[in-house]
Amino acid sequence: MSRPDISEERLNAFVDDELDAAEKEAVFEAMSQDPSLLQQTCELRQLSELVRHAYDQPPQAERYRPGPRPATPWGRAAAAVVLLALGTLLGWFGHQKPLELPEDSANLQAMVWGDEDRAFENADLATVADRNELKRVILHLNTSSPDKFGQALDTAEQLLKTYADDNHGAEIEVVANASAIKMLRAGSSPYADRVRRLQEQYFNLTFLACKDAMDHIRELEGLKTDVKLLPGVDVTPSALEHILNRLNDGWVYINI
Amino acid sequence: MKVISRLCRQQQFRQSLAEYRINLYRIAYSWCHNPALADDLVQDTLAKALKNSGQLRDSKTLKAWLYRILCNCWRDHFRRSRDTVDVDDVVLTERDTPDRCHDRQQIVERVRNAISQLPMGQRQVITLVDLEGCSYIEVAEILEIPIGTVMSRLSRARKALKERLLAAEVESDPKVYRLRNAR
Repeated sequence: MSRPDISEERLNAFVDDELDAAEKEAVFEAMSQDPSLLQQTCELRQLSELVRHAYDQPPQAERYRPGPRPATPWGRAAAAVVLLALGTLLGWFGHQKPLELPEDSANLQAMVWGDEDRAFENADLATVADRNELKRVILHLNTSSPDKFGQALDTAEQLLKTYADDNHGAEIEVVANASAIKMLRAGSSPYADRVRRLQEQYFNLTFLACKDAMDHIRELEGLKTDVKLLPGVDVTPSALEHILNRLNDGWVYINI
Repeated sequence: MKVISRLCRQQQFRQSLAEYRINLYRIAYSWCHNPALADDLVQDTLAKALKNSGQLRDSKTLKAWLYRILCNCWRDHFRRSRDTVDVDDVVLTERDTPDRCHDRQQIVERVRNAISQLPMGQRQVITLVDLEGCSYIEVAEILEIPIGTVMSRLSRARKALKERLLAAEVESDPKVYRLRNAR
Protein backbone atom coordinates (compact mmCIF):
# COMPACT_ATOMS: atom_id res chain seq x y z
CA MET A 1 0.00 0.00 0.00
CA SER A 2 1.11 3.53 -0.60
CA ARG A 3 2.15 5.69 2.28
CA PRO A 4 -0.55 8.05 3.43
CA ASP A 5 1.29 11.15 2.22
CA ILE A 6 1.64 9.91 -1.38
CA SER A 7 -1.87 9.42 -2.72
CA GLU A 8 -2.60 7.44 -5.85
CA GLU A 9 -3.55 10.66 -7.61
CA ARG A 10 -0.16 12.09 -6.82
CA LEU A 11 1.63 8.95 -8.01
CA ASN A 12 -0.32 9.17 -11.26
CA ALA A 13 0.65 12.81 -11.60
CA PHE A 14 4.27 11.77 -11.00
CA VAL A 15 4.09 9.22 -13.81
CA ASP A 16 2.51 11.79 -16.16
CA ASP A 17 5.18 14.35 -15.30
CA GLU A 18 2.68 16.79 -13.81
CA LEU A 19 4.52 17.51 -10.56
CA ASP A 20 6.89 20.40 -9.90
CA ALA A 21 10.43 19.78 -8.69
CA ALA A 22 9.65 19.89 -4.97
CA GLU A 23 6.71 17.51 -5.26
CA LYS A 24 8.79 15.13 -7.37
CA GLU A 25 11.49 15.22 -4.73
CA ALA A 26 8.95 14.19 -2.10
CA VAL A 27 7.85 11.24 -4.23
CA PHE A 28 11.45 10.14 -4.82
CA GLU A 29 12.09 10.44 -1.09
CA ALA A 30 9.04 8.30 -0.26
CA MET A 31 10.08 5.80 -2.92
CA SER A 32 13.47 5.28 -1.38
CA GLN A 33 11.77 4.32 1.88
CA ASP A 34 8.99 2.25 0.38
CA PRO A 35 9.92 0.00 -2.56
CA SER A 36 6.26 -0.84 -3.16
CA LEU A 37 5.81 2.74 -4.43
CA LEU A 38 8.45 2.04 -7.04
CA GLN A 39 6.57 -1.08 -8.04
CA GLN A 40 3.32 0.90 -8.32
CA THR A 41 5.02 3.54 -10.46
CA CYS A 42 6.30 0.82 -12.78
CA GLU A 43 2.82 -0.64 -13.09
CA LEU A 44 1.28 2.75 -13.88
CA ARG A 45 3.91 3.34 -16.57
CA GLN A 46 3.28 -0.08 -18.00
CA LEU A 47 -0.49 0.57 -18.13
CA SER A 48 0.04 3.83 -19.90
CA GLU A 49 2.24 2.12 -22.47
CA LEU A 50 -0.32 -0.63 -22.93
CA VAL A 51 -3.05 1.93 -23.62
CA ARG A 52 -0.88 3.70 -26.18
CA HIS A 53 -0.04 0.41 -27.79
CA ALA A 54 -3.68 -0.71 -27.96
CA TYR A 55 -4.73 2.31 -30.04
CA ASP A 56 -1.63 2.71 -32.13
CA GLN A 57 -3.42 1.37 -35.16
CA PRO A 58 -7.17 1.76 -34.72
CA PRO A 59 -9.22 -0.09 -37.35
CA GLN A 60 -10.30 2.25 -40.15
CA ALA A 61 -13.89 2.74 -41.23
CA GLU A 62 -14.47 0.93 -44.53
CA ARG A 63 -16.65 3.36 -46.36
CA TYR A 64 -14.29 6.31 -46.34
CA ARG A 65 -11.31 4.54 -47.80
CA PRO A 66 -10.48 6.22 -51.09
CA GLY A 67 -11.45 4.05 -54.04
CA PRO A 68 -9.22 3.48 -57.06
CA ARG A 69 -8.99 6.56 -59.24
CA PRO A 70 -9.12 6.32 -63.03
CA ALA A 71 -5.55 6.27 -64.28
CA THR A 72 -4.30 9.20 -66.33
CA PRO A 73 -1.85 8.60 -69.20
CA TRP A 74 0.94 10.04 -67.04
CA GLY A 75 -0.13 7.81 -64.16
CA ARG A 76 0.10 4.81 -66.46
CA ALA A 77 3.53 5.83 -67.65
CA ALA A 78 4.66 6.24 -64.04
CA ALA A 79 3.24 2.84 -63.13
CA ALA A 80 5.06 1.24 -66.05
CA VAL A 81 8.34 2.81 -64.96
CA VAL A 82 7.80 1.62 -61.39
CA LEU A 83 7.02 -1.92 -62.54
CA LEU A 84 10.08 -1.98 -64.75
CA ALA A 85 12.27 -0.77 -61.91
CA LEU A 86 10.71 -3.33 -59.57
CA GLY A 87 11.38 -6.13 -62.04
CA THR A 88 14.99 -5.05 -62.43
CA LEU A 89 15.46 -4.87 -58.69
CA LEU A 90 13.87 -8.28 -58.13
CA GLY A 91 16.10 -9.82 -60.73
CA TRP A 92 19.13 -8.12 -59.30
CA PHE A 93 18.54 -9.13 -55.74
CA GLY A 94 16.82 -12.42 -56.52
CA HIS A 95 20.07 -14.29 -56.52
CA GLN A 96 21.03 -13.31 -52.99
CA LYS A 97 22.50 -16.09 -50.95
CA PRO A 98 20.35 -17.83 -48.35
CA LEU A 99 20.71 -16.79 -44.75
CA GLU A 100 23.04 -18.91 -42.66
CA LEU A 101 22.26 -18.65 -39.00
CA PRO A 102 24.66 -19.58 -36.24
CA GLU A 103 24.11 -23.10 -34.95
CA ASP A 104 23.10 -22.10 -31.46
CA SER A 105 20.38 -19.82 -32.79
CA ALA A 106 18.17 -22.78 -33.65
CA ASN A 107 16.29 -22.50 -30.39
CA LEU A 108 15.76 -18.75 -30.61
CA GLN A 109 12.19 -17.57 -30.82
CA ALA A 110 11.48 -14.69 -33.12
CA MET A 111 8.35 -12.61 -32.94
CA VAL A 112 6.66 -10.50 -35.58
CA TRP A 113 3.62 -8.29 -35.70
CA GLY A 114 1.04 -10.22 -37.73
CA ASP A 115 -0.75 -8.26 -40.44
CA GLU A 116 -3.89 -10.36 -40.37
CA ASP A 117 -5.06 -10.11 -36.80
CA ARG A 118 -2.92 -7.21 -35.59
CA ALA A 119 -1.31 -9.22 -32.86
CA PHE A 120 2.08 -10.63 -32.08
CA GLU A 121 2.89 -13.89 -33.70
CA ASN A 122 5.46 -16.31 -32.52
CA ALA A 123 7.58 -17.89 -35.15
CA ASP A 124 10.83 -19.70 -35.01
CA LEU A 125 13.75 -17.94 -36.52
CA ALA A 126 14.10 -20.30 -39.47
CA THR A 127 10.50 -19.69 -40.57
CA VAL A 128 10.88 -15.94 -40.46
CA ALA A 129 14.18 -16.23 -42.29
CA ASP A 130 12.45 -18.26 -45.00
CA ARG A 131 9.89 -15.55 -45.41
CA ASN A 132 12.90 -13.40 -46.10
CA GLU A 133 11.85 -10.72 -43.68
CA LEU A 134 14.88 -10.91 -41.48
CA LYS A 135 16.30 -7.57 -42.48
CA ARG A 136 15.27 -5.32 -39.66
CA VAL A 137 15.84 -7.16 -36.43
CA ILE A 138 15.77 -6.06 -32.84
CA LEU A 139 17.66 -8.27 -30.39
CA HIS A 140 16.56 -7.86 -26.80
CA LEU A 141 18.70 -8.75 -23.79
CA ASN A 142 17.63 -8.53 -20.19
CA THR A 143 20.05 -10.72 -18.28
CA SER A 144 23.64 -10.04 -17.40
CA SER A 145 24.82 -13.41 -18.69
CA PRO A 146 27.98 -12.88 -20.79
CA ASP A 147 27.20 -16.06 -22.76
CA LYS A 148 23.85 -14.67 -23.85
CA PHE A 149 25.38 -11.38 -24.84
CA GLY A 150 27.97 -13.29 -26.85
CA GLN A 151 25.15 -15.20 -28.52
CA ALA A 152 23.40 -11.95 -29.36
CA LEU A 153 26.58 -10.56 -30.93
CA ASP A 154 27.06 -13.80 -32.91
CA THR A 155 23.51 -13.63 -34.22
CA ALA A 156 23.81 -9.94 -35.09
CA GLU A 157 27.12 -10.45 -36.85
CA GLN A 158 25.80 -13.41 -38.82
CA LEU A 159 22.75 -11.44 -39.95
CA LEU A 160 24.88 -8.48 -40.92
CA LYS A 161 27.39 -10.65 -42.81
CA THR A 162 24.55 -12.15 -44.82
CA TYR A 163 23.20 -8.81 -45.87
CA ALA A 164 26.31 -6.70 -45.84
CA ASP A 165 27.68 -7.19 -49.38
CA ASP A 166 24.44 -6.37 -51.13
CA ASN A 167 23.09 -3.40 -49.26
CA HIS A 168 19.47 -4.32 -48.61
CA GLY A 169 18.75 -1.71 -46.02
CA ALA A 170 19.21 -4.31 -43.30
CA GLU A 171 19.22 -2.85 -39.82
CA ILE A 172 20.04 -4.55 -36.55
CA GLU A 173 19.52 -3.15 -33.08
CA VAL A 174 20.74 -4.69 -29.85
CA VAL A 175 18.66 -3.38 -26.95
CA ALA A 176 19.69 -4.01 -23.36
CA ASN A 177 17.64 -3.37 -20.27
CA ALA A 178 17.48 -4.63 -16.67
CA SER A 179 20.78 -6.27 -15.69
CA ALA A 180 21.90 -6.59 -19.32
CA ILE A 181 23.01 -2.95 -19.06
CA LYS A 182 26.13 -4.39 -17.44
CA MET A 183 27.18 -5.76 -20.82
CA LEU A 184 27.18 -2.28 -22.36
CA ARG A 185 28.73 -0.53 -19.38
CA ALA A 186 32.17 0.96 -19.64
CA GLY A 187 34.59 -0.85 -17.35
CA SER A 188 32.41 -3.88 -16.66
CA SER A 189 31.64 -5.26 -20.11
CA PRO A 190 33.83 -8.17 -21.19
CA TYR A 191 32.79 -7.43 -24.78
CA ALA A 192 33.97 -3.81 -25.03
CA ASP A 193 36.46 -4.54 -27.82
CA ARG A 194 34.09 -6.69 -29.81
CA VAL A 195 31.30 -4.13 -29.57
CA ARG A 196 33.67 -1.43 -30.82
CA ARG A 197 34.93 -3.61 -33.68
CA LEU A 198 31.37 -4.47 -34.77
CA GLN A 199 30.35 -0.81 -34.64
CA GLU A 200 33.31 0.15 -36.83
CA GLN A 201 32.58 -2.63 -39.28
CA TYR A 202 28.80 -2.21 -39.65
CA PHE A 203 27.21 1.21 -39.76
CA ASN A 204 23.74 -0.36 -39.66
CA LEU A 205 24.24 -1.96 -36.26
CA THR A 206 23.03 0.03 -33.25
CA PHE A 207 23.47 -0.67 -29.57
CA LEU A 208 20.85 0.79 -27.23
CA ALA A 209 20.60 0.93 -23.46
CA CYS A 210 17.36 1.50 -21.53
CA LYS A 211 17.33 4.78 -19.60
CA ASP A 212 14.88 3.41 -17.05
CA ALA A 213 17.23 0.55 -16.22
CA MET A 214 20.23 2.91 -16.11
CA ASP A 215 18.41 5.15 -13.65
CA HIS A 216 17.57 2.10 -11.60
CA ILE A 217 21.24 1.09 -11.39
CA ARG A 218 22.18 4.65 -10.55
CA GLU A 219 19.69 4.66 -7.67
CA LEU A 220 20.88 1.26 -6.46
CA GLU A 221 24.54 2.24 -6.46
CA GLY A 222 23.87 5.78 -5.28
CA LEU A 223 25.82 7.30 -8.18
CA LYS A 224 25.89 11.03 -8.72
CA THR A 225 26.11 10.86 -12.51
CA ASP A 226 24.59 8.65 -15.16
CA VAL A 227 25.92 5.15 -15.65
CA LYS A 228 28.83 5.32 -18.10
CA LEU A 229 28.30 3.31 -21.26
CA LEU A 230 30.69 1.99 -23.88
CA PRO A 231 31.46 4.60 -26.55
CA GLY A 232 28.87 4.77 -29.35
CA VAL A 233 26.08 3.13 -27.35
CA ASP A 234 22.82 5.05 -27.65
CA VAL A 235 20.21 5.50 -24.95
CA THR A 236 16.46 4.95 -25.35
CA PRO A 237 14.02 6.31 -22.73
CA SER A 238 12.25 2.97 -22.35
CA ALA A 239 13.34 -0.31 -23.90
CA LEU A 240 9.84 -1.74 -23.79
CA GLU A 241 8.33 1.19 -25.64
CA HIS A 242 11.13 1.15 -28.17
CA ILE A 243 10.58 -2.55 -28.87
CA LEU A 244 6.83 -2.10 -29.27
CA ASN A 245 7.40 0.73 -31.73
CA ARG A 246 9.83 -1.35 -33.74
CA LEU A 247 7.41 -4.28 -33.82
CA ASN A 248 4.77 -1.94 -35.12
CA ASP A 249 7.12 -0.84 -37.87
CA GLY A 250 7.46 -4.46 -38.93
CA TRP A 251 10.74 -5.34 -37.24
CA VAL A 252 11.45 -8.90 -36.12
CA TYR A 253 11.94 -9.24 -32.39
CA ILE A 254 14.24 -11.79 -30.85
CA ASN A 255 14.67 -12.23 -27.14
CA ILE A 256 18.04 -13.73 -26.37
CA MET B 1 -1.60 41.99 -49.12
CA LYS B 2 -4.09 41.42 -46.35
CA VAL B 3 -6.11 39.09 -48.51
CA ILE B 4 -3.04 37.05 -49.31
CA SER B 5 -2.00 36.74 -45.69
CA ARG B 6 -5.52 35.71 -44.73
CA LEU B 7 -5.54 33.12 -47.49
CA CYS B 8 -2.21 31.80 -46.26
CA ARG B 9 -3.52 31.57 -42.73
CA GLN B 10 -6.59 29.74 -43.91
CA GLN B 11 -4.43 27.35 -45.89
CA GLN B 12 -2.24 26.72 -42.86
CA PHE B 13 -5.28 26.14 -40.69
CA ARG B 14 -6.66 23.55 -43.09
CA GLN B 15 -3.31 21.83 -43.17
CA SER B 16 -3.04 21.61 -39.39
CA LEU B 17 -6.61 20.30 -39.22
CA ALA B 18 -5.64 17.56 -41.65
CA GLU B 19 -2.65 16.70 -39.50
CA TYR B 20 -4.89 16.22 -36.48
CA ARG B 21 -7.24 13.91 -38.33
CA ILE B 22 -5.46 10.68 -37.35
CA ASN B 23 -5.18 11.72 -33.70
CA LEU B 24 -8.84 12.74 -33.54
CA TYR B 25 -9.84 9.45 -35.09
CA ARG B 26 -7.75 7.50 -32.60
CA ILE B 27 -9.35 9.24 -29.63
CA ALA B 28 -12.86 8.97 -31.10
CA TYR B 29 -12.31 5.27 -31.70
CA SER B 30 -11.06 4.75 -28.16
CA TRP B 31 -14.26 6.35 -26.88
CA CYS B 32 -16.81 4.49 -28.98
CA HIS B 33 -14.93 1.42 -30.31
CA ASN B 34 -16.84 1.65 -33.55
CA PRO B 35 -14.88 2.65 -36.69
CA ALA B 36 -17.85 4.03 -38.61
CA LEU B 37 -19.10 6.12 -35.71
CA ALA B 38 -15.58 7.35 -34.96
CA ASP B 39 -15.24 8.43 -38.56
CA ASP B 40 -18.54 10.31 -38.41
CA LEU B 41 -17.46 12.06 -35.22
CA VAL B 42 -14.19 13.15 -36.80
CA GLN B 43 -16.03 14.43 -39.90
CA ASP B 44 -18.41 16.42 -37.68
CA THR B 45 -15.54 17.77 -35.65
CA LEU B 46 -13.56 18.92 -38.68
CA ALA B 47 -16.64 20.44 -40.29
CA LYS B 48 -17.42 22.41 -37.13
CA ALA B 49 -13.79 23.45 -36.77
CA LEU B 50 -13.73 24.81 -40.33
CA LYS B 51 -17.01 26.60 -39.86
CA ASN B 52 -15.99 28.19 -36.56
CA SER B 53 -12.33 28.77 -37.33
CA GLY B 54 -12.82 32.42 -36.39
CA GLN B 55 -13.32 31.41 -32.75
CA LEU B 56 -9.80 30.13 -32.45
CA ARG B 57 -7.75 33.11 -31.33
CA ASP B 58 -4.43 31.45 -30.59
CA SER B 59 -3.19 28.67 -32.85
CA LYS B 60 -1.31 27.15 -29.91
CA THR B 61 -4.60 26.11 -28.34
CA LEU B 62 -5.72 24.36 -31.52
CA LYS B 63 -5.28 20.90 -30.01
CA ALA B 64 -7.42 21.52 -26.92
CA TRP B 65 -9.97 23.40 -29.02
CA LEU B 66 -10.33 20.49 -31.47
CA TYR B 67 -10.72 17.93 -28.72
CA ARG B 68 -13.33 20.08 -27.06
CA ILE B 69 -15.31 20.12 -30.31
CA LEU B 70 -14.91 16.36 -30.60
CA CYS B 71 -16.10 15.97 -27.03
CA ASN B 72 -19.18 18.09 -27.80
CA CYS B 73 -19.91 16.08 -30.93
CA TRP B 74 -19.70 12.89 -28.90
CA ARG B 75 -22.03 14.33 -26.28
CA ASP B 76 -24.47 15.44 -29.01
CA HIS B 77 -24.38 11.99 -30.46
CA PHE B 78 -25.39 10.56 -27.10
CA ARG B 79 -28.12 13.11 -26.65
CA ARG B 80 -29.49 12.42 -30.13
CA SER B 81 -29.37 8.69 -29.81
CA ARG B 82 -30.91 8.61 -26.36
CA ASP B 83 -34.35 9.58 -27.73
CA THR B 84 -34.30 7.10 -30.53
CA VAL B 85 -32.27 4.33 -29.02
CA ASP B 86 -33.41 0.83 -29.69
CA VAL B 87 -31.92 -2.47 -28.68
CA ASP B 88 -30.57 -3.28 -32.12
CA ASP B 89 -28.68 -0.03 -32.29
CA VAL B 90 -27.03 -0.67 -28.98
CA VAL B 91 -25.84 -4.04 -30.15
CA LEU B 92 -24.60 -2.48 -33.37
CA THR B 93 -22.67 0.19 -31.56
CA GLU B 94 -21.13 -2.38 -29.30
CA ARG B 95 -20.41 -4.79 -32.12
CA ASP B 96 -16.76 -3.97 -32.16
CA THR B 97 -16.45 -4.02 -28.38
CA PRO B 98 -14.21 -6.98 -28.07
CA ASP B 99 -16.11 -8.84 -25.38
CA ARG B 100 -16.23 -11.88 -27.49
CA CYS B 101 -12.52 -11.63 -28.21
CA HIS B 102 -11.72 -11.62 -24.55
CA ASP B 103 -10.82 -15.25 -24.42
CA ARG B 104 -8.34 -14.75 -27.22
CA GLN B 105 -6.38 -12.73 -24.68
CA GLN B 106 -4.41 -10.79 -27.20
CA ILE B 107 -2.78 -7.73 -25.80
CA VAL B 108 -4.47 -5.15 -27.98
CA GLU B 109 -7.89 -6.71 -27.69
CA ARG B 110 -7.59 -7.08 -23.95
CA VAL B 111 -6.59 -3.48 -23.42
CA ARG B 112 -9.33 -2.14 -25.73
CA ASN B 113 -11.83 -4.36 -23.99
CA ALA B 114 -10.76 -3.10 -20.58
CA ILE B 115 -10.97 0.52 -21.76
CA SER B 116 -14.41 -0.02 -23.25
CA GLN B 117 -15.65 -1.17 -19.86
CA LEU B 118 -14.59 2.01 -18.09
CA PRO B 119 -17.22 4.67 -17.37
CA MET B 120 -17.20 7.30 -20.13
CA GLY B 121 -15.75 10.06 -17.92
CA GLN B 122 -12.76 7.92 -16.96
CA ARG B 123 -12.36 6.64 -20.52
CA GLN B 124 -12.11 10.18 -21.90
CA VAL B 125 -9.57 11.27 -19.32
CA ILE B 126 -7.25 8.29 -19.65
CA THR B 127 -7.28 8.32 -23.46
CA LEU B 128 -6.58 12.06 -23.66
CA VAL B 129 -3.68 11.72 -21.21
CA ASP B 130 -2.15 8.50 -22.52
CA LEU B 131 -2.89 8.65 -26.24
CA GLU B 132 -2.57 12.36 -26.88
CA GLY B 133 -0.20 13.28 -24.08
CA CYS B 134 -2.52 16.07 -22.94
CA SER B 135 -1.58 17.75 -19.68
CA TYR B 136 -4.08 17.62 -16.82
CA ILE B 137 -4.94 21.27 -17.37
CA GLU B 138 -5.65 20.69 -21.05
CA VAL B 139 -7.89 17.74 -20.20
CA ALA B 140 -9.75 19.86 -17.65
CA GLU B 141 -10.33 22.51 -20.33
CA ILE B 142 -11.37 20.02 -22.99
CA LEU B 143 -13.88 18.20 -20.83
CA GLU B 144 -14.83 21.33 -18.87
CA ILE B 145 -14.32 19.68 -15.50
CA PRO B 146 -12.16 20.72 -12.51
CA ILE B 147 -8.55 19.48 -12.50
CA GLY B 148 -9.16 17.55 -9.26
CA THR B 149 -11.80 15.53 -11.09
CA VAL B 150 -9.31 14.84 -13.89
CA MET B 151 -6.86 13.44 -11.34
CA SER B 152 -9.36 11.30 -9.48
CA ARG B 153 -10.90 9.93 -12.68
CA LEU B 154 -7.47 9.09 -14.06
CA SER B 155 -6.46 7.39 -10.85
CA ARG B 156 -9.65 5.33 -10.77
CA ALA B 157 -9.34 4.44 -14.46
CA ARG B 158 -5.77 3.19 -14.07
CA LYS B 159 -6.72 1.26 -10.96
CA ALA B 160 -9.50 -0.51 -12.82
CA LEU B 161 -7.21 -1.23 -15.77
CA LYS B 162 -4.57 -2.60 -13.43
CA GLU B 163 -7.05 -5.01 -11.92
CA ARG B 164 -8.23 -6.16 -15.33
CA LEU B 165 -4.94 -6.28 -17.17
CA LEU B 166 -2.01 -6.79 -14.85
CA ALA B 167 -3.68 -9.18 -12.39
CA ALA B 168 -4.93 -11.41 -15.20
CA GLU B 169 -1.45 -11.86 -16.59
CA VAL B 170 -0.57 -14.68 -14.21
CA GLU B 171 -3.30 -17.03 -15.33
CA SER B 172 -3.24 -16.10 -18.98
CA ASP B 173 -2.72 -18.43 -21.88
CA PRO B 174 0.94 -19.51 -21.94
CA LYS B 175 0.94 -19.58 -25.74
CA VAL B 176 0.56 -15.83 -25.89
CA TYR B 177 3.95 -14.20 -25.97
CA ARG B 178 4.35 -11.32 -23.63
CA LEU B 179 7.17 -8.84 -23.42
CA ARG B 180 9.00 -8.75 -20.16
CA ASN B 181 8.77 -5.73 -18.02
CA ALA B 182 11.29 -3.09 -18.98
CA ARG B 183 13.02 -3.20 -15.65
